[in-house]
Amino acid sequence: MNTQIKFTLNGSPVMVEAPGEISLLRLLRDHLNLTGTKEGCAIGECGACSVLLDGRVVNSCLVLAPQVNGREVVTIEGLGQQDGAHSASDLQAAFVKYGAVQCGYCTPGLVIAGEALLRSNPMPTRAEIIDGIAGNLCRCTGYQQIVDAIEQTALQRAERTQQHAAAKVQE
Amino acid sequence: MLRHTTHWVTKPANRVDGPDKANGKAKYAGDYRVPGQLATRALRSPIPHARILRIDTSAALKVPGVLAVITSDDFVDHGRFGFPVADNFILAYQKVRYVGEGIAIVAAVDAEAAEAGVRAIELDLEALPVIEDMEQALLPDAPIIPDVVTEGSKHGQPNICLTQIVRNGDPEPIIDASPVQLDQTYATPFQEHAYLEPEAVLSIPNPDGSVIIYACDQSPFNNRGVAAAVLGLPQDKVRVIQAIVGGSFGGKDEVVYQMSAQTAKLALLTNRPVSMVFSREESIMVSYKRDASQIRIRLGADRDGTLQAARVEAWLDGGAYSAETVLTAWRAAMHLAGAYKYQAVKGDVHVLYTNNNYSSAFRGFGNTEAVACIEQAIDEIAEQVEIDPIDLRLKNIIGKGDQTMTGATLNQEVGLRACLEWVRQKSDWDRKRREFPLQNKGRRYQKGIGVACYFHGMGLGGEGTDFANATVAIERDNSVTLTNGLTDYGTGARTVFTLIAADVLGARPERIKVLLTDTETAIDSGPTVASRASVVGGNATRVAVEKIAQLLTFAAANLLQCAPAQILRDKEAFIGPDEEPVDFDTVVNHARKLGYVLSAHGRWQLPVIHWDFAKGTGTPYVGYTFGAAIVEVTVHSGTGRVQADRIWAAHDIGKVLFPEGAYGQLYGGITQGLGYGLMEEVEFNHGYIHNVNFDDYIIPTAMDVPPIEATFIEAPFHLGPYGAKNVAEPSMLGVAPALANAVYHATGKRIRELPLTPERVLLGHALHNDDHGDNSRQWLGYGKGLGNVRVI
Repeated sequence: MNTQIKFTLNGSPVMVEAPGEISLLRLLRDHLNLTGTKEGCAIGECGACSVLLDGRVVNSCLVLAPQVNGREVVTIEGLGQQDGAHSASDLQAAFVKYGAVQCGYCTPGLVIAGEALLRSNPMPTRAEIIDGIAGNLCRCTGYQQIVDAIEQTALQRAERTQQHAAAKVQE
Repeated sequence: MLRHTTHWVTKPANRVDGPDKANGKAKYAGDYRVPGQLATRALRSPIPHARILRIDTSAALKVPGVLAVITSDDFVDHGRFGFPVADNFILAYQKVRYVGEGIAIVAAVDAEAAEAGVRAIELDLEALPVIEDMEQALLPDAPIIPDVVTEGSKHGQPNICLTQIVRNGDPEPIIDASPVQLDQTYATPFQEHAYLEPEAVLSIPNPDGSVIIYACDQSPFNNRGVAAAVLGLPQDKVRVIQAIVGGSFGGKDEVVYQMSAQTAKLALLTNRPVSMVFSREESIMVSYKRDASQIRIRLGADRDGTLQAARVEAWLDGGAYSAETVLTAWRAAMHLAGAYKYQAVKGDVHVLYTNNNYSSAFRGFGNTEAVACIEQAIDEIAEQVEIDPIDLRLKNIIGKGDQTMTGATLNQEVGLRACLEWVRQKSDWDRKRREFPLQNKGRRYQKGIGVACYFHGMGLGGEGTDFANATVAIERDNSVTLTNGLTDYGTGARTVFTLIAADVLGARPERIKVLLTDTETAIDSGPTVASRASVVGGNATRVAVEKIAQLLTFAAANLLQCAPAQILRDKEAFIGPDEEPVDFDTVVNHARKLGYVLSAHGRWQLPVIHWDFAKGTGTPYVGYTFGAAIVEVTVHSGTGRVQADRIWAAHDIGKVLFPEGAYGQLYGGITQGLGYGLMEEVEFNHGYIHNVNFDDYIIPTAMDVPPIEATFIEAPFHLGPYGAKNVAEPSMLGVAPALANAVYHATGKRIRELPLTPERVLLGHALHNDDHGDNSRQWLGYGKGLGNVRVI
C-alpha cells in the first residue's frame, strides 16, 4: 500500500509516494535515488545508514519511512555547503585530509555521526568523539584517523567562531 | 630516470577517491540503477550436506514477475570452477556441502516476485552425514565431501585436500636432544571478513550477446576468466568492470565470481540488466571465511634460549570447497616457525574438507594463523629458560645473510631488530614486565604486557608469476590517464599509482586519473592479492610513465635547443641550461608537434624464484616485510574480560610512499588483529553459522580500539618502487599473539585458543552457543516453512 510522505530533505521539501512499511533507508535509496546512504546490516548495528533526523543521528534502516512526515532529514549528499555549486563540508574535507577514508562504505555514516556530535558538542574530547562514533562500524581504518578528522574539524570551527567574535568586537 | 628527490611520493597526499567517498557520490555495485533492472533471489541449501535428488523450476517460472530461473545445468561443465583445485560450482551440482550454498537463482521484476519464485521451486534433498569439524573429517568412515580425487585419497584420507610442506633438515633428533623442549597445540578461529559493503553485482547484456559485469571483486581478470568459461563465451564477450569496492581483505573473490556468473547468465537469458545484492546475513552465511586452524608446535632450544629446531604440523579447516586454502596452506607452511634462525625445520600443513561453509583468502593468508601460534610458543620457551621475551627474540631473529626457517638465505636489509627495539622502548616494556606482576597481587584488575614479532613473504612468491601491467596516456587537455591491472578495493593503490606517476612524469597529481580497473581497458595482471599492488603495480606504473617522461625530456631539449641530459626538472617545470623554466603544457604541446606518441605500456615482474612443492625446498619469496607489536591489557579476574589498553607497533615496510594510506593500513590491520585476538569467531553449530549479523558477530568499535602508537622502519628494499615493500597484510599479524602473551603475563593463564573471550580466560575453554543454528535457520526461512523444499 503506497502512502504519501512529505518531509524536508537536505533543505528542500519533497513529497513521495512509497509503500508505508519500508524503511527510511529504502525510501532514500530506492525511491529518491540518494545512494550515498549505505546499507551494512539492516538491523541498526553498523551505522552505515546514519542520517540526521531533526538534527539527531539515526539509523535510517530502523526508521519507518512514514515516520519522517513533516520532519527534516539530512543525508550525506546534503551536508556540503549549498552556496551555488555543491562543495564538501569542512568535516568531509577533513576526512579526506586526515586519511579517515579507505574503502569509503562506512564513511557517509561516520561523517553524519561526526557532524551530529559536533552540533551537540562543539569541542568534544577524544574520548567523547570515540563515544560519539561508537555506533558506527569501520572495518578498514581502526578509527584513529576518523577521530583525528573530527577533532581537527572541531578545532577549526572553534577558531573560526573566535575569529568571527573578534571581528564583531572590532566592528 | 628514477628521480632521487621526490615531490609527491612520500609526502602528505589526499586519497584520489577520498572526496567522492566522503561526499556520498562514490558508486558501489549496489548503487547502480539502470532501467529495466531485474532483482534476484537465491534458493539456498537449508542443510549442511545433502544429495540433490530433484530440482523442478517449472512452477517458479509461472510466478508472476519471474523471468528466469537458473541451476547448475545452465553452465558449461555444470559451472565447475576453482583454482588450484576445481572442486567448486557456480551453483550446487549433485550435492550441497554447506548451509546456504546456492542451488538456484530466480530473476524477477522485483525482489518480492523473485522471493515467491524461489519458494515455488521444487527441490528434493537427501540428507547426508555432516562433518562438523576436522576430527570428524579424518574418521575412517567419514563421508567423502569433495567430488575430486584428493592428494589425501592416496593415503586413505580423502577429506585431506592436500598437504603443503617445508623440509629444511631433520629437526626431530635435534629437538629430542635439546635441554629445553616445547610441544603444544594452538588453535585459531574462523574469521569473517566483515567488509562493510555486502557483496553486490550488476550484469548488463549487450545486443551482440556479450555482457558487462559491474562487480565488487578484488580481481576482475580472474572473475572474467571464470565467467567466460562457465558461460561458454570467449573472453572478449565478457567485460568486467570493478565498481568502487567497499572493503575486501581477501574476501571478494570466489563468492563474487559466483554472483557474477549467475547474474551474467540471467542477463543473457532475459536480455535485461540483473542485479544481485546480498544482505548481511546472506553475506556471512554464503561468503568464505578465514580457515580455522590447529597447529602443533614442537621446539627445541638451548638453556641460553638459542632456538635449535622446529617441527610444526598444522590442520586447516578448509570447509566444503578448497578455494584458495590450498595456497593459504602454502604460505602458512613458509612461516610456521616464525622469523627465527634454526638448524632444522620441518612443517606440514594439511587442508581438510568439512561442511563448515568454506575457507579462502583473508588478510595474512595463512601467516596470520601461523604467527598467532608460533609467537605464543616462543613466549613459552622464553618462560622455560627465564629470559625476557624480547631478549629471547632478539637473540634468535633472522638478519641479513641468515637462513630463514625454510633454509633460504635472506639477501635484503632487515628492520626486525629495530622494530623490536622501538616497541620495547616506546612501551616502557622492561619496567612494566617487572612491575605488573607485583602490582597485580590480590587485585581484581590485572595488568599484563605482551609482545610478538613476525616476517611476511612479499607478493605471490612460489605461488606464481608475479607481474603487473600499466598504461599511461596524455590526453588532449594534457591530463594523464593511467590504467593498472591491479586494483584498489579500498587499499589506496590508485593513490599510490597516482603519486608514482606524478613524480616520474613531473606532473601534478591533480592532472592524473587512475581508471577503475576494467578488463576492456586495463591489461591482465593476475589477481590483486598478496599485498602486491604497491610494489608490482607501482613498478609497472613507473615503467610505463618513464617512457613518456623520456619523450617529454626529448621534446624539452628540442624546444630549448640543448641535450636531453641538460634538462633538469622541478615539479612541472623543465629547466634547460639557460635556467629558463618551461611548463609542462608547453613541453607536451611541443612533443605533439614533433609527432611523439604520448601513450605507453609498462610491464614489471618480480624476479622468478623457484619453490619445489613436492620436496618442500627452494626459495619461497623474493623478500620479506617485518614487524613487531606490543599490547598492554587489563584483565578482570572476576569476569575474564580482556581490555586492550594500548598498542605499540613498528613495521619494516620499506619506503613509505603514501603516509596517510600506510598508517591507515597499519591502524586498520591492527584493529582486525585485535578483533581476531579478542572477540571474532564464526561459530558453527552442526554446520550452521550462529552469528550471521553484527549483533552476534562482533567486530571492534571505536570504543574497543585503544590508543595505537606506531611507526614505520623504512629499511630500503632494492626491488620496490622508491624502496617500498608492502603493508596491507602484515599489519595485522602481531596483535593476536601479543594479546595472548599479555593475558598470560596478567593472569598466568596460557589459553592457546583464540579468540580470548571471557569464557576462555575465566574457564580455559569456550562456551559454545549450541542453538542448532537458529539464526541461520531463521534466515533460511525455517520459521515460515521451506517452500517446496523436501528433505528426505
